Amino acid sequence: MKPLEGIRVIDLTQAMAAPFCTMNLADMGADVIKIEPPGEGEQTRQLGAANKNGHSATFMTMNRGKRGLAVDLKQPEGVEIVRKLAATADVFVQNYRPGVVDRLGLDYQSLHKVNPRLVYCQISGFGNTGPYASRGGYDLIAQGMSGVISVTGDEDGPPAKSGVPLADLSAGLFAAYGVLAALEHRDRTGEGQLVDTSLLEAAMALTVWESAEYWTTGKAPRPVGSAHRNSAPYQALRASDGYFNVGAANDKLFAAFCAAIERKDLLSDPRFSSRSSRLQHRKVLQDEIESVTKKETRAAWLARLEKAGVPAGPINNYAEALADPHALARDMVVDLVHPGAGDIKALGVPVKLSETPGAVERAAPLLGEHTAEILKELCYSESQLKALVSRGVVQ
Amino acid sequence: MVTNNPPGALEGLRVIDQTQVMAGPFCSMLLGDLGAEVIKVEPPEGEYTRQERAIAPGVSASFLALNRNKKSLALDLKTPEGVARLKKLAATADVLVENYRPGVAKRLGVDFEALRQINPRLIYCSISGFGQTGPYASRGGFDLIAQGMSGIMSATGSEGGPPVKVGVPITDLGAGLFAVFGILCALRARKKTGRGQFVDTSLFEAGLALSAWEATEYWYTGQIPKRLGTAHRLNAPYQAFKASDGYFTVGASNTKLWGLFAEMLGLKQLISDPRFADTGKRLENRAELEQLIEQVTAKQTRAHWLERCEKAGIPAGPIYSVAEALADPQAQARNMTWEYDYPGVGRAKSLGNPVKLSRTPARLYRIPPRLGEDNGKIE
Repeated sequence: MKPLEGIRVIDLTQAMAAPFCTMNLADMGADVIKIEPPGEGEQTRQLGAANKNGHSATFMTMNRGKRGLAVDLKQPEGVEIVRKLAATADVFVQNYRPGVVDRLGLDYQSLHKVNPRLVYCQISGFGNTGPYASRGGYDLIAQGMSGVISVTGDEDGPPAKSGVPLADLSAGLFAAYGVLAALEHRDRTGEGQLVDTSLLEAAMALTVWESAEYWTTGKAPRPVGSAHRNSAPYQALRASDGYFNVGAANDKLFAAFCAAIERKDLLSDPRFSSRSSRLQHRKVLQDEIESVTKKETRAAWLARLEKAGVPAGPINNYAEALADPHALARDMVVDLVHPGAGDIKALGVPVKLSETPGAVERAAPLLGEHTAEILKELCYSESQLKALVSRGVVQ
Repeated sequence: MVTNNPPGALEGLRVIDQTQVMAGPFCSMLLGDLGAEVIKVEPPEGEYTRQERAIAPGVSASFLALNRNKKSLALDLKTPEGVARLKKLAATADVLVENYRPGVAKRLGVDFEALRQINPRLIYCSISGFGQTGPYASRGGFDLIAQGMSGIMSATGSEGGPPVKVGVPITDLGAGLFAVFGILCALRARKKTGRGQFVDTSLFEAGLALSAWEATEYWYTGQIPKRLGTAHRLNAPYQAFKASDGYFTVGASNTKLWGLFAEMLGLKQLISDPRFADTGKRLENRAELEQLIEQVTAKQTRAHWLERCEKAGIPAGPIYSVAEALADPQAQARNMTWEYDYPGVGRAKSLGNPVKLSRTPARLYRIPPRLGEDNGKIE
């Protein structure tokens, strides 16, 4: 048994943030029904460079484990199908720009009337209220406006964002948290509610340290490359063949680190005697350390630091990260069979439940793959289904 | 304490919070924001971050940032009395969250196996650097290490520059989020099974899970994802551009938005230019495209371009400092700063909760606790 078995989720989403939310719910056993327009399907089905046998990789990545229903929301009968589905569902997730679902009659107020127990979640660029509510927003825009870009990158280099779309992905995770909490409330009271989050708010919620620093010092934090705002040495260091990471953030680890690189003299240097003085002299400290570390390879240092119990690690590229023995031991790479693309790989479930674990078992649906099945569950007859198909309401 | 408000979504849930620093405290804070009773169990000298650059006795900015909506119980788990007290508490709890190095909880006699004997309904969540199993299980792991090993650093920063990490500790916070998600899933399972379980996640796995796009690029194209500054892996133009007084971001990543953007810049001829004819071409010739665009954008201010983009309906935005981000009217309208008075500190601020629940909104139930504030008050 998976933990969310029996929870039905209507997924009227596209691109990344909201599909990632429902993907995580599907991994944990929810019955997620992905609604797409007939013909071309969701926008990410369009083919880019990343595809296999004519199937878009980005779509397959974010929609694994979901059932596919292709229905035309420009036709009233199509909207009616989604309203019927919403009456049977626990959760409804959408990430259209504010206003679009109102026109369709698929907004929170309308669906609340159909199903007062429904937890309705919307994920947008800026949230459903406030002066920018109607603006479109992307991960990049949210990273810029949340302050994340202002603290990422080289100290003096051009702006850099988080390489992974953290506003999108964390908005999806915050939404999943809101949805599951709202289900707890519903179980107690029978009341559904609206769960409203955004890329901007999600990215801002990740600036915990940075906002604290600003409120305390009055100064806005700057990018620090690979280093830490509050401790040193905690950064990438140069070896003879590239860089490796070391986190020797407290006195005990710093002592162990100095012993491991045979620079115990640094411990008695007044510039490096306390955490605050090390932070203050971070550049000099880095120079002193790198004068030693640059003489040997990354592998040599990592082996030595592991023995010394100092947290350290390589800077893996994705070929290395996805082949790492620990990543494999933790089931972070999963093999799937997609009905069109064949054998594909997917990332695993990062949180392990001992009794009712989630799992990645089914690839993303083909467009309309489960349309007939779902309509039958809604008690549409074979002839009604045929008629809907012939009128282009469903595919 | 705020009263006369509707109950929180997680009201009635009792959480023992045996965590420190970031990933664990972030997880339990999210539970507390929605009404769970979170009891922070601290060593007699207080959690580590209390003393880190303290701004008043026993409290630092980082402690305040992550410990609202929690009670504090000071306990010495190195003594049998301390362990006995914790076990008594565990018998009454729904959830326990800890982020010790693997092995420490067992040594103290408060690991999952020990506590499930006392309370089979307990959901026990461990957050660590690498998870409780696998070859690196016993290693200590920090956000930096996890960002490096999960591939995130290899995809962050500018090509050719020294390594940089994501400026915010994304694997710490991501692990906290996945932990909350796992705990709430386990609560649902408990309704059916009547039993708790062990929930195990890590910074390393969170880093990998947040690499969905990058793993996809690698698996499907065979290309190893590169560092792109502010640009997009699969689309262009979608990046920061130089104005006369700094940078601003633009996401004109589909055909329609690209057309609008080119037109707005007076670069209509680029729309039919074979070098930029479709997404693939624009991506392939991104450096050239950037140069042509910046020749125009560098002549006017950020404010000028942002206003033009808004009028044209092109997603764009400033690159704010954290100070500017917090002061922005949208952030204010969405209640992203919570304020309260803290003894010895004065007016204190922390980030709001990013998820808005219409019936059971997140709120400040209580300010971060003083050490041991609730000793003797918790049954």
